[in-house]
Amino acid sequence: MNERRTTIFDGTSRQQPRPASGGGLDRRRALELLAAGLTAGLAACSSPDEEIVPYVNMPERLVPGTPLLFASTLPLSGYGRGVVCTSFEGRPTKVEGNPRHPGSQGSTDPFAEAAVLQLYDPDRSRTVRLQTEVSSWQAFVGVMLAQMQGHAGDGGTGLRLLTGRVTSPTLVRQMGEIRGRFPQARWHRYEPLDDDNARRGARLAYGRTLTALPDLGRADVILALDADPLGVGPDQIRNARGFAERRTVRRDGAAMSRLYAVEPLMTLTGANADNRLALAPHEVGDLAVAVAAALGAGVDRPELQPVAAHFADAVARDLQQHQGRALVLVGQGQPPEVHALGHWINAKLQAPVTLIEPLDPVQEEHADSLAALLNDMRSGAVRTLVMLECNPAYEAPAELGFADALKRVPFSVHLGLHVDETAVLSRWHLPATHPLESWSDLRAVDGTASIVQPLIRPLYDTRTAHELLPLLLGQIAASAHDLVRDTWRPQAGPDFEAWWRQALHDGVVPTTAAPGVQAPEPRLPDLGQRPPAPGGMTVLFRPDPTVWDGRFANYAWLQECPKPLTKQVWSNAAHLAPEDAKRLGLTDGDLLNLERGRELVVAPVIVQHGQAPGTVGLTLGYGRTHAGMIGSGLGANAYKLRPAASPWAATDVAVSPAHARSEIDRTQLHFDLEDEERHKQILPQLKLADLARASQELPSETPPPSLYPPFEYPRHAWAMVIDTTLCIGCNTCVLACQAENNIPVVGPVEVSRGRLMHWMRIDTYELGSDEDPRPGFQPVPCMHCEQAPCEPVCPVEASVHDHEGLNVQVYNRCIGTRFCESNCPYKVRRFNFFAYNNGQEFANMGEEPVLAQHNPEVTVRGRGVMEKCTYCVQRISWARRQAETENREIGADEVVPACAAACPTRAISFGDLDNPDSSVNRLRKEPQHYAMLEHLGTRPRTTYLALLRNPNPDLEEGAS
Amino acid sequence: MTTEALPRVAPSGASEPVIAPDATYASVTETIIAPLVQTRRWTLWWIAFLLSGLVTGAMLVSIIVLFTVGIGIWGVNSIVVWGYAIASYVWWVAIGSGGTIISSMLLMTRQRWRSAISRFSEMMTMFAVAIAGMFPILHLGRPYFFYWLAPYPNTMSLWPQWRSALVWDFWAIASYLFYSIFFWYLGAIPDFATVRDRARSARGKIFYGLLALGWRGSAGQWHRYEVIYKTIGAFGVPMVVGVHSVVGLDFAASLMPGWQESIYPPYFVVGALYSGFATVNMLAVLFRWGLGLQRVITDRHFEAMAKITLAASIIMTLSYLTEYYMAWYSGDSFERTVVAFEFTGDYAWYYRAMLVGNCVIPQLLWFGRIRRNPWSLFLISLIVDVAMWIERAMIIFNTLGRGHLPSMWHPFFPTFWDWLLLFSPLGFYTFMLLLFSRLVPTVPMHELRQLVHEEGRG
Repeated sequence: MNERRTTIFDGTSRQQPRPASGGGLDRRRALELLAAGLTAGLAACSSPDEEIVPYVNMPERLVPGTPLLFASTLPLSGYGRGVVCTSFEGRPTKVEGNPRHPGSQGSTDPFAEAAVLQLYDPDRSRTVRLQTEVSSWQAFVGVMLAQMQGHAGDGGTGLRLLTGRVTSPTLVRQMGEIRGRFPQARWHRYEPLDDDNARRGARLAYGRTLTALPDLGRADVILALDADPLGVGPDQIRNARGFAERRTVRRDGAAMSRLYAVEPLMTLTGANADNRLALAPHEVGDLAVAVAAALGAGVDRPELQPVAAHFADAVARDLQQHQGRALVLVGQGQPPEVHALGHWINAKLQAPVTLIEPLDPVQEEHADSLAALLNDMRSGAVRTLVMLECNPAYEAPAELGFADALKRVPFSVHLGLHVDETAVLSRWHLPATHPLESWSDLRAVDGTASIVQPLIRPLYDTRTAHELLPLLLGQIAASAHDLVRDTWRPQAGPDFEAWWRQALHDGVVPTTAAPGVQAPEPRLPDLGQRPPAPGGMTVLFRPDPTVWDGRFANYAWLQECPKPLTKQVWSNAAHLAPEDAKRLGLTDGDLLNLERGRELVVAPVIVQHGQAPGTVGLTLGYGRTHAGMIGSGLGANAYKLRPAASPWAATDVAVSPAHARSEIDRTQLHFDLEDEERHKQILPQLKLADLARASQELPSETPPPSLYPPFEYPRHAWAMVIDTTLCIGCNTCVLACQAENNIPVVGPVEVSRGRLMHWMRIDTYELGSDEDPRPGFQPVPCMHCEQAPCEPVCPVEASVHDHEGLNVQVYNRCIGTRFCESNCPYKVRRFNFFAYNNGQEFANMGEEPVLAQHNPEVTVRGRGVMEKCTYCVQRISWARRQAETENREIGADEVVPACAAACPTRAISFGDLDNPDSSVNRLRKEPQHYAMLEHLGTRPRTTYLALLRNPNPDLEEGAS
Repeated sequence: MTTEALPRVAPSGASEPVIAPDATYASVTETIIAPLVQTRRWTLWWIAFLLSGLVTGAMLVSIIVLFTVGIGIWGVNSIVVWGYAIASYVWWVAIGSGGTIISSMLLMTRQRWRSAISRFSEMMTMFAVAIAGMFPILHLGRPYFFYWLAPYPNTMSLWPQWRSALVWDFWAIASYLFYSIFFWYLGAIPDFATVRDRARSARGKIFYGLLALGWRGSAGQWHRYEVIYKTIGAFGVPMVVGVHSVVGLDFAASLMPGWQESIYPPYFVVGALYSGFATVNMLAVLFRWGLGLQRVITDRHFEAMAKITLAASIIMTLSYLTEYYMAWYSGDSFERTVVAFEFTGDYAWYYRAMLVGNCVIPQLLWFGRIRRNPWSLFLISLIVDVAMWIERAMIIFNTLGRGHLPSMWHPFFPTFWDWLLLFSPLGFYTFMLLLFSRLVPTVPMHELRQLVHEEGRG
């Protein structure tokens, strides 16, 4: 066509209308007009009432629909875990680990995954409050400056600051400035999950406070004495990764470490142990002494029960034989003497432990620091109390009476994310900025510093602690960004901007890891002073696996995340040993009265096999009154029973049945695999020594034949292999899946009715005996069967097989017959009985801010449709588009689903079976490889590596 | 009674007549047509009609709430994804089978005693199948898309999944419903003509006149009628067997322990006949009592029906035993778990009650006196029907609640709405039966007149 194409917007065409037949319009022009008219009409329809402003200058790097990744750091009890956060058009939706950060190593933990929900929590505090009235920052600043004016003359007498653990170099610097200006002011620090015993133990051993950093990756033999290195905490990811390094048994043969656990309560560490012994807390200490004695400490060997004595001897021999690669870990609940003994044993064994100077600048013990503050508050010596992102009214042991003492403080200020228990008692409450909205910096447990950079402008008119503290010095307009930069400028070298950009980009400040300290030979502690065994029941306080110390109580994902060992959700329970439960005549769900002084706590009982008799396990973090719409009024408040002097155990609690019941909401009701056949077909467990015979212990490799022709997978065949040996049961994958795939929360009532929506679940099975239980964990996503039972039964073809072997669910086509789920042997499909995500949300989960968390790449499912794990098909699709843009094939392990990315132990591998280089192909050739329920002929794409344990042969039954 | 008359009407040599000895053409017609044309006050009927109307209203409320709030109002969960709706569906469609068998199988085998009870058993089938067809739609997550099961030309260019038992089911139920209506209507045409001729009001004449399709009772019409009625009747038996086999395949064409059994299709056919016959028994007693049909529905009928019920009970018992044996013999621990769970699990008491109701109590029908007493037969049939509903619920809950993975073992807890939609369709059923008992002759007059003729008393 030599004629120039014209449009209606083209001036020349209007001046010189082309010849047209009939009514003066040719076909093309008619269509053009039609299209223009339609476009104009549509545009008119969709424009909102309010004035809107388009991007005049598109922000650099922003491509609509393409997420950006930013490195940042999230705090947990003051320590940082480096993360990489996904942001869609300025809206953070998902947190992943930062591979460069030593505290995360590319993985996350459940709390990091829930950070996005925390950001968008509708219950977040949005305004300044003066007692119960809404106030303003302006009003507060005026009052605060006046108050500080009053302190100007007296050097800060009566000025107190209370924080949790602080590792942020900027905050430490600011605190220093304040103490410089107000020498009489005092900084108190209280963390409910303290490390006082470890600090005291280090002082006993070395004469000064040092922090021990164990390296599980370099240990062949590990003895955990009431320690839970694999349980939740700021160091969970680092420990888990190190542990996994020595548990990854492959054909090319890395040796497997051996983990001994001696503990009163069942923990994740105990569940993953090769040999475990349940002992009361004081007996754990005795066993430690016995081990030390066997290693030549020259201490009196205490009287032990025969089983414990035998165990101690076997462990001591094993430790001795692995000089340099043996490690002893002591839990926070153990007295300082045992910690000191642990240091002695580790030194003796040349254990892979690095000693560093404590990162926490406050020298005082947590309990002492808080007690000192409370004394002063009660005596009226505190005139101004500034509480930064802590909640002492809830977290302080109730016997200290923090609430009453706070009433005696004339001017109290609380900065926090929520109007919590402390906020309602304080004179002023200030809304805090969420870490994902803030500039700050944090140190990881090993000392590595990293910058906290905001992914989004603060949603509300909030301030960070960095911005609040300058007010105390009379500075009004402080910017956290500048403050953090000021902290690092001296260390950056000549080109600060380049250094800064690099630090932000990497999410790690280089060479900031704390250097190892050359400590003197640890002294043996005086073991004569150890307290006698308690007479009655001991209540043990532990962090909660899903709400930590209570600060995560208001995040529905975490509340609905099943506790790894009991699968309880939305509450806590008093864990009892079977012997004690029998003695008290209690079973699961019966209420137990726990009385200490004037405080009475009522909690439902869970009978936990493998718990030491005479102990009651109770997790912290429940019974909150001002957590918010999600977290208030759930469970029993352990802080009411917590003795200030011994925060990890109370021996003076009266325990009696309450003669009432409260059913426990659980996501799994049966933990027993019942018979040999099920063991073999579902979760086979092997001893490392028996690995050579694996083929006999595992289901056969040849699935039964099928009448249906096999599918062809011309390009890719996605598959997943999950190593159950490596799965420590931490739940991170469950949360990661929830965050990635817009999985709704259903609430406790719906959970108890069996309607949990999680696509990824971790099945926990009891693999040991009742006397020596050893739970095994099995993450269960969709199996993506090649002969999927769900596909042929769907009458409308909503469940279909795709060309890459994915078993896909077409939500738009689903009419909700639920035949697919009834026919799924793995029961991985989840049905929207209500519009959990679209109109009938639980509590406030449908409110505006929460909706912003949704991943735009994943459909939000409506009522009446079935859904399930997609292998994160959106990520596969993303990788495919990337590869096509770059004109290459998708790499062997390029696609990483959310669960695999989050897993701290790298237990989940994903890749392309059609690619011989993929890790799934290698793993499928391992001797311990098997497919769950293979005899059904479903030919699952998700397969497993059997659970290996490496028990000490000397501790086998019958061995002496 | 003469001895010559017996062989023609008494299939098993029983001595009782299948029609009152003094019945004549006129008396038969009058008896049957009375509810349709008589003007006397039907107080009891009206009370029953209004009561059942109220319950029908409750059913509508239950359905409206279901559609507005979602099937989460029921007790179904992610593991026991099917609940009362599917049990009720199987139960209702089984109720229907009794009617078809009476009409069709007995027609084919020339059991003349069927005449008196064939019409209302066909009606029973029609409404039962209609109600049954309602449940699979109600139980859908998105019921407004139920028509996606049909292979209609659509913009999505999609056909249903022909491998799915639910598609087979859709066709089975649709064909069965269509068949039952057609067969019932065909059999009623001569009777509509009779009512037309006797109707006193103009409205009645027009109404029945339209229904009678111009029936004049000519020899040609009778001839064609006989041919087509018997032909259509011959379809009935394979239809029933097919429908219930397909219902059985809904479960058997799966791989769940306790479902994946080749015995399921015949087992469901027998189960269907069993509960269908029990329902015919109950309705026969009620109709006879309510409409004064003692002269046409005799003890002889009850005797025969009770024997069939007893035979079905024995076959059911055999089916259960076969299931247990196969679970044991297969050595499959998953199958064995389900069987063990049936007897000892969450629903053990229901399961045991079901066995008593289905296998033990019907053995009373070995006694002639119990067989011939309408009210004892009624009671036993009621127990069988209840037990058969429990059986269907147990099939669902026991298997789904005890699948392959112990981590996913979960019980089912029914809610108020489950119970409401379980019982309220009975009201709707009654409502429709009451309505039709005043609109359509409940007993085929022309067949009875033929019977009277054959008995030699015309």
